[in-house]
Amino acid sequence: MTAPMPQATVHATIESYLTEVAARLVGPARMRGAILAELRDGLMEALGTRLARGVEPAHAAAAAIGEFGDPPSVARGFASELAAATARRVAFALASTGPPIGLLWAAAYAGRFGLVHVGPPWRWPAAPTGAWLAFPLICAVVAIAGLAALTVVASTSRLSRWLPMRPTLAPVAAAAVAAAAMTVDLTMLGLLASQVVTRPGSLAWSSAAAAATASLTRLTLAGWATSRCQTSRAAVA
Amino acid sequence: MEDAQGLKGHLDVLLLAALENGPRHGYAIKEALRTGSNGRFDLPTGTIYPALHRLERAGLISGSWSVVDGRRRRSYQLTAGGRRKLDGDRTDWHQFAGAISALLGPSPRVATS
Repeated sequence: MTAPMPQATVHATIESYLTEVAARLVGPARMRGAILAELRDGLMEALGTRLARGVEPAHAAAAAIGEFGDPPSVARGFASELAAATARRVAFALASTGPPIGLLWAAAYAGRFGLVHVGPPWRWPAAPTGAWLAFPLICAVVAIAGLAALTVVASTSRLSRWLPMRPTLAPVAAAAVAAAAMTVDLTMLGLLASQVVTRPGSLAWSSAAAAATASLTRLTLAGWATSRCQTSRAAVA
Repeated sequence: MEDAQGLKGHLDVLLLAALENGPRHGYAIKEALRTGSNGRFDLPTGTIYPALHRLERAGLISGSWSVVDGRRRRSYQLTAGGRRKLDGDRTDWHQFAGAISALLGPSPRVATS
């Protein structure tokens, strides 16, 4: 006859199981923490139910864990929700940064001459060389990416009842929005670089520095977000 | 478990129904489904929690945290939208089940030797 398992050991068994689940969850840290807290409570309930029936602690812990399933299966069950949360955050963040960064660039090219100009941006006094081609393309990319971002946010929120999106599609769409943001930022930074070389006197330097810093920051974050979206999508598939 | 597989497509309405009489936490919902079906629907626990998260994201249920026995517990309750969804799905189910029952006829008699 084996000695009863101490309570601390039973808890350690459950925590070890949760650690294995945690290692396989991919998504926002806060949501992962909430999932683990919820699983821990459920496991303790399942354990308590068996202990109350007189089941030996080691067997009760094993049975409670067995009831929840093996860690890869449990983590896979949450993958869709975690991917949706990741996609929603990325799309929302990028959609939110669009207008302020756009305004910073507008100020960079119009700042020295005042923000109000008649005519399209490529006719502004400080417009960079090649702006007549770049700006319409950027506007088209921003419009498509903005629509995609709003669709991702809607389909991963309460509106998901009416606007469902496949679990694998949301992170892909969010990654596409991030790629579009990176394209816009790289284009604007490229235009700025050419402007610095060809017509440095036309720039409002403080506004240009602020716009460049904002775009560089978003470029970095969008690159990281793209990677997170791809990882989330892989976890769902 | 075969019954659990057959529940695919009906899980959402069963989870909503389990919350009809008040808030419950995830494990209590699982147990309510098991005991309410006389043990036929003993769903894998790993299925219940993600489904609850999906229903919450859709605004059909709302979750809130509390502390019980020193650990965090998330309990869920129906929202107004969830209650409407439950009512609608319940009506649809009764009409569907009634039509199927009418076509299948009465239960077969138990064979006696």
